[in-house]
Amino acid sequence: MPEKERLQQELQEAVIKGKRDVVEPSIRRLLSEGTSPEEIMDRMMIPAMDIVGEQFSRGEIFLPEMMIAARAMNTGLAILKPMLTAKGAPSKGKVVIGAVKGDIHDVGKNIVSMVLEGAGYEVIDLGIDVPPEKFITALNEHHPRFVLMSALITLTMIAMEDTIKAFKAAGVRDKVKIGVGGAPLTQNFADRIGADFYGKDARAAVTKCNELLKE
Amino acid sequence: MKEMRPRERVLSALRRETPDRVPWVENDIEEGLQERIMGTTQFAPGELCEKLGMDGFGYHFPMGGQAVAGQALQAGGSFKETYYYPQKVTFDFVPPWIAEMGVIPETGRTFVKKGLLTSNDSLKLFDEYLPDPDHPARYEQVSKWIDQYKGDYAVFARIRLGSASMLESMGIVEFAYNIYDNPDLIKEVHRRFSEWSAKVVEHLNKMDFHFYWVNDDHADTRSTWMSREQYQEFFLPYQKIVADAIRKPWVFHSDGNLLPILDDLLTLGMAGIHPIQPSAMDIKKIKANYGNRVCILGNIDLDYTLTLGSPEEVDKEVKERIATTGVNGGYIVTSANSLTDYCKTENVWAMARAVKKYGKYPLDPNLLKLDSWWGT
Repeated sequence: MPEKERLQQELQEAVIKGKRDVVEPSIRRLLSEGTSPEEIMDRMMIPAMDIVGEQFSRGEIFLPEMMIAARAMNTGLAILKPMLTAKGAPSKGKVVIGAVKGDIHDVGKNIVSMVLEGAGYEVIDLGIDVPPEKFITALNEHHPRFVLMSALITLTMIAMEDTIKAFKAAGVRDKVKIGVGGAPLTQNFADRIGADFYGKDARAAVTKCNELLKE
Repeated sequence: MKEMRPRERVLSALRRETPDRVPWVENDIEEGLQERIMGTTQFAPGELCEKLGMDGFGYHFPMGGQAVAGQALQAGGSFKETYYYPQKVTFDFVPPWIAEMGVIPETGRTFVKKGLLTSNDSLKLFDEYLPDPDHPARYEQVSKWIDQYKGDYAVFARIRLGSASMLESMGIVEFAYNIYDNPDLIKEVHRRFSEWSAKVVEHLNKMDFHFYWVNDDHADTRSTWMSREQYQEFFLPYQKIVADAIRKPWVFHSDGNLLPILDDLLTLGMAGIHPIQPSAMDIKKIKANYGNRVCILGNIDLDYTLTLGSPEEVDKEVKERIATTGVNGGYIVTSANSLTDYCKTENVWAMARAVKKYGKYPLDPNLLKLDSWWGT
């Protein structure tokens, strides 16, 4: 097997298995062999993370495996990002994320953030109990491609609608794609409140963002 | 059938027998909702049960103070004194989260900002946070409340196996990392919480509680937060420490889809399983596959029906659940988590009326026709 192919296999397996201590030396060796940062990112690491997402969706792996894979991915990103930025390579863009006003649950949001970062997005995490005006301030400051809102309980789902209304009132609704997620949500609810998409889990959220980027 | 007393009705269902009617007990009714139902904060637990037609109680009540938002306070720091000497009526015996806590000023609702058990060194926080499980004051006070309020009702204590304590006190992300980075830390944290709970249970066994409600979330609507193998290694042996100490019937609660671990979980020997969240598990399948091993509790939807739906929708759902799951007993009606203070009050009343209307055994043959599944 050619060295590059062997190193690619090693790197992808390290991402899939979450072996972050293997990720860095693999990337360094690939770079020294002449492989470009773009190729390592687009043809090796992102496809590896896609495999992890598919395994998670099929129930073949569970949260711990997904999380350590995302962490390994982030280890690689930390190495490649300065090189990609220096070369002017386009990033996938920024995502502002937060649990809406009144909602104190951040587990799902944190998982989505990790996986988004692993997929190459820059995540601005506003935390929990985020009022509409804070989302709008972040939108004006960071100019994200996406705003993602989470809610775990029915009570706070209503705040999602309020936030979208506030975006409209502020005249910024059309500047960003809005995604919503959380245990009590459904596609119907997302449609009713005027969100652009609903992500049933972290994997789905990333897939939807990726699809919308292609539009 | 001769009319049973509420306690007998609950215990009969927990034994998977057929009582005189399907019982109704809630894992929790948040205090704001209690106050709306009773029109006051000064009432006895049995009065709330009587008003709603409920068969048992546990959790906590606003008497002795004001109604607070959310569930029982689980902060660290100043927890010990309020644990030993509760000022408001409570039947909870859960350890504090070992975590940095936050509070939403408008509602007073507390939440975990950050778990603090993230390293071997952090284990010393156990001494700082956990109350002495042998301190007599709380047991003495709660025994008095049981004597004072139990009447004919089934009274339960809420406890933990230690799993939720471990997950919240580490944080789910740190837990996930440490499965691979430091597996012994997870085991040690779980062991310490479980041993604390087991000591508490030894005291509770001597008290006049009729059953325990054991709250340990393990899952979300998609799946469990661990594989079956991880459950067997990191959870089950420590949960068993508590389960082996229990000498009364007990109900296990975890939100979400428990199917990946359910067979192992049931080896702990609980009498009932709750809440069979409708968006996560199919109660018909649970009844069919596990109804001969365990009493089923729950499945009245909190995500929509009780909180956003109409009284008519609540009535229909309770009717369908009784038709689906009440056949041959072994079913207790409850919400699919708890009655939170954001449930519509009129929907709680609709639930109360529906349990009374449809729950009488033998079940109405017309009701059973609702569920063709039983005929197949």
